[in-house]
Amino acid sequence: MAGDQTPRPSGGPDDVPPGAGQGWTALSYLIAGMLVWGFIGWLVDGWLDTGGVATGIGVVVGMAGGIVLVVRKLGTPT
Amino acid sequence: MFGQANVLAQGEAAFPPSVEDFYLPSIVPWGAENSYWFTKITAMVWLAVGLLIIFFLVTYRKPQLVPTKKQWLAESIYGFVRNNIAVDMIGHRGVAFAPYFTTLFCFILLTNFFAIVPGLQISPNSHIAFPAFLAVISYVMFIWVGIRHHGAGKFFKNSLIPPAPWYILPLLIPIELFSTFIVRPFSLAVRLFANMFAGHMLLLVFTLGGFAMLNANVWLAPVSLLSWLMTVALTFLEFLVICLQAYVFTVLTASYVQGALADEH
Repeated sequence: MAGDQTPRPSGGPDDVPPGAGQGWTALSYLIAGMLVWGFIGWLVDGWLDTGGVATGIGVVVGMAGGIVLVVRKLGTPT
Repeated sequence: MFGQANVLAQGEAAFPPSVEDFYLPSIVPWGAENSYWFTKITAMVWLAVGLLIIFFLVTYRKPQLVPTKKQWLAESIYGFVRNNIAVDMIGHRGVAFAPYFTTLFCFILLTNFFAIVPGLQISPNSHIAFPAFLAVISYVMFIWVGIRHHGAGKFFKNSLIPPAPWYILPLLIPIELFSTFIVRPFSLAVRLFANMFAGHMLLLVFTLGGFAMLNANVWLAPVSLLSWLMTVALTFLEFLVICLQAYVFTVLTASYVQGALADEH
């Protein structure tokens, strides 16, 4: 791997992190989405005494948000 | 550290290994309990720093057009990080970051590698403090680079507001905030720490387990042997993890810098 020293032809769009970075970004969006909105749902749960319903809704909403983010930021070819 | 084999043979080492095994006795003052100012871990970190400085100074003191073996090695490492990480991830602007990434990569690789060097056999990175500090450097660096490149307002706008219709933004902005500014340093540090911690723990379990079984019953000797063979196999696995984690840490830092430098959507 050290012998492979051909620099990438630069000048293309630098917007999307290539390779491994892209994978980690996608994964972190999906997990972060569930955690953030799950946590907000959990707070709502404690506030309104809904017994876990709001947490469930929050996790699903967060997952949807994470997927939207992945599609929006990594999915569209420029 | 050289008394380890004797201790093991006499069955004094506690099995199962615990977190206590990661806190080695102090070197100065010698053998003191609960004194962590200068331990084997401290010594290894300075050893790594010293080795890297000397290595790069010596190999690049008289650079030649047709490189010597040592110069070739140093240039290959630098070339690998520069071309395959910095330029690959960030583009032409990445060259400016290549020296830092090379330092980071070499330091993590070497300190990780201490985990399987006979006599050293523990990585400083199995203490959360070292990965955490490296992660803090990466965190401050990507924010600072982004602010310097875009200006504070534009940088935070770029990194918090994704390209999406306005009505979905309230859903997305908290996720962006969380994943960019809270999760990043944490996951960087924990990924490296947990890998090195678990690796050391695994080797301890299989080595000490062999002795524990041998001491419990002589007829278990073949199983002990199997356990030690597993240790050898796991050492090779450790080597893979060592290289991979050094690479992943550097690549992710590069990816964060790339995100901070990226033009608006």
